[in-house]
Amino acid sequence: MKVGFIGLGIMGRPMALNILKGGFDLTVWARRAESMAPLLEAGAKGAASAAEVAAGCDVVFSMVADAADVEQVALGAGGVAEGARAGLIYVDMSTIAPAAAQSISARLLEKGVTMLDAPVSGGEVGAISGGLTIMVGGDAAAFAKVEPLFARMGKAATLIGGPGAGQVAKACNQILTGVGVLAVAEAFNFARKSGVDAGKVREALLGGFAYSRILENHGQRMLDRNFKPGFKAWMHQKDMNIVMQEAHRLGLMLPSSAATAQLFNAMVGSGMGEEDSVAALKLLECLSGE
Amino acid sequence: MMKVGFIGLGTMGRPMAEHLIEGRARAARLEPPCRQRRLAVALGALHAQRWPSWRRAARSCAPMSPPAPTWPAWPTRCGRPGAGAIHLDFSTIAPGVAKGIAAAHAECGVDFVDAPVSGGGVGARNATLAIMWGGRDELAPRLAPIFAVLGKSAVRIGEAGAGQVAKACNQMILVNLIQACAEAAALANAAGVDFSLVREAMLGGSAGSRALDVFGGRMASRDFAAGVEARLHHKDYALLMDEATPHRRATAGGGGGMAAAQCADGAGLGQAGHGLAAARAGGGSMQGSLK
Repeated sequence: MKVGFIGLGIMGRPMALNILKGGFDLTVWARRAESMAPLLEAGAKGAASAAEVAAGCDVVFSMVADAADVEQVALGAGGVAEGARAGLIYVDMSTIAPAAAQSISARLLEKGVTMLDAPVSGGEVGAISGGLTIMVGGDAAAFAKVEPLFARMGKAATLIGGPGAGQVAKACNQILTGVGVLAVAEAFNFARKSGVDAGKVREALLGGFAYSRILENHGQRMLDRNFKPGFKAWMHQKDMNIVMQEAHRLGLMLPSSAATAQLFNAMVGSGMGEEDSVAALKLLECLSGE
Repeated sequence: MMKVGFIGLGTMGRPMAEHLIEGRARAARLEPPCRQRRLAVALGALHAQRWPSWRRAARSCAPMSPPAPTWPAWPTRCGRPGAGAIHLDFSTIAPGVAKGIAAAHAECGVDFVDAPVSGGGVGARNATLAIMWGGRDELAPRLAPIFAVLGKSAVRIGEAGAGQVAKACNQMILVNLIQACAEAAALANAAGVDFSLVREAMLGGSAGSRALDVFGGRMASRDFAAGVEARLHHKDYALLMDEATPHRRATAGGGGGMAAAQCADGAGLGQAGHGLAAARAGGGSMQGSLK
C-alpha cells in the first residue's frame, strides 16, 4: 500500500513519521519546502504538489489548518482530486466544520475519490507518541482499509458514522475540553480567592465525580503556572467557533459552549492567543481583580 | 470504643451510616488510639427516640442533609454536644455558614469539621466517596477511621469551611462537565450522529472524565432516573453564586451552568437526574428532545 501525507506541521510531521516507522512507502508534500526536510531525511519521498502525491498513492492523508486549506488540498488547482487514481482514499485529519467535511466529501465522490474525515485528539504529545484518539466519519470499507495506518498514529480509531461524523465527534470533544478547562480555571480561581490551596482541592477532587483528564493534566499545569503550549488558545477559539457555527446551522442552544467560546475570544483579544488554553486562569484572575 | 452518631439518613446518609455500623469494629482495630475516645456525643438524642434501635445506639453527630438555611437553628433545636466532641458535617452547605457553625461550636469546646463528599449514591453505597474536609489539623487521627470506612480518599483542605470551598469547586467542575456532556450529546443527536459512539471515542482521550463516563453513559442510553437530582445541583449552584458574589469571582461557565440548572428546575425536571435536566434543557431544542 502506497501512502501519501500532506501538511507537515506540529501535528502532521510526527504523524507522518510514525507511518514511515511502520514500514510503509510514504510520499509527502507540504507548502513550505523546509517542512518536508525531516521526512525526506527519514526516508520519505517528496512530491511537487498534492496532485503528484495522489497520483502515486492508494491512501492520502492531510493535516492542515482549516476548511479553506482542506478545500484547496482536496479540490483546488494541483489538488488531490486532480491527480487521483480510481479508488483513492483521501483521509483528512484536520479539524474543520462537519458541514464543510460533508460538502468536500460529496464533491470528491463525484470524482471517484472516497473521503474519510478523521480528526484527532491528544495534541502534539499524542502525535509524537502515536497515542492519538482518532474519530472517523465515512465509508466503512474505506475505514477498514485505512485502519492499519490509523494504528500507527493513534491508540484508538473509532468509526462514528457517515461523512462528517468524525468532525461532529471532534466538535463534541472540543466542547468537553473547552468547557472543562474553563471550569477548572474557575474552580482554582475561586479556591485561591477563598484562601484555600488549589493544589489540595485538585488532589481531593481527583478521587470523585469531578475527575477528568483536564483536571489531572491541565489542572496541574495551572498550579505550576505553566502556560506554554500545548494546545494554543487561538486553536481552541477556532474549534469553539466551529461548534457555534454548527449550533447556528442546527438551531441548537449550547449555553456553556457559548460562554466558553466567548472566553477564548477574550483570551485571543487579550494577547494570550499563543499561550496554552490553561492561561484561561490568568484571564479569570485578571477579571477578578488580581 | 468511640461512639458515632449519624443524623440524616437519605440517599447518601443511609448507606454511609450503614458502613459506619459495619466498619465500627474494623475502624477500632485499625486505630487503637481511638478506642477510648468518644468521637461524638449525643446530639441526636432527641431524634433517636423515633429511630430503630441501631440508630438509637449510634448517638448522632454527623448530619447529612441539604437545606443549609436550617443549620444555624439546628444546635438550639437539638442542644449542643459536650466539650471535646466533634460535629462532623458531610452536607454540602455554604463555606460561610460552615465557618459560622464552627465559631459557635468553638465557644462550647466542640470542634466542627466540614467534610462534604463527592461520588453520589453509588460512591456512598460502595464506600468510594472522595471526602474533602476542613477543620483543625489535630483532629485528623480521630477522623481517619471514620473516613476510612466511608470513602477511598480524604484530603484535608484547610481550616473549617475549606472543605466546602473544595466542594464548591467540585460542583463547579462537575456541573459544567455534565452540561458539556449534554451539549455534546445534543450536538451529536441534532447532527444525526450516534452519541454512544462519540462518547466511546472521547473516553480514551483528553476529553475523558468521570462525568462523560457516568452521566454521558446515561445520556447515551437515555436513562434519566435520579442519581443526583437536578434540584440539588441547583441548590449547590446557588451556594456557589452566593460565594462568588463577595469575592467578585469571574465565573463565566458558572453562569451558564446556573442558567441551565435553573432552566431544568423551572421546566419541572427538578426531581429528575441532572443528566436528564441538562440533556433536555441544555440541549436547547427542548420540544424535540422532550418527546
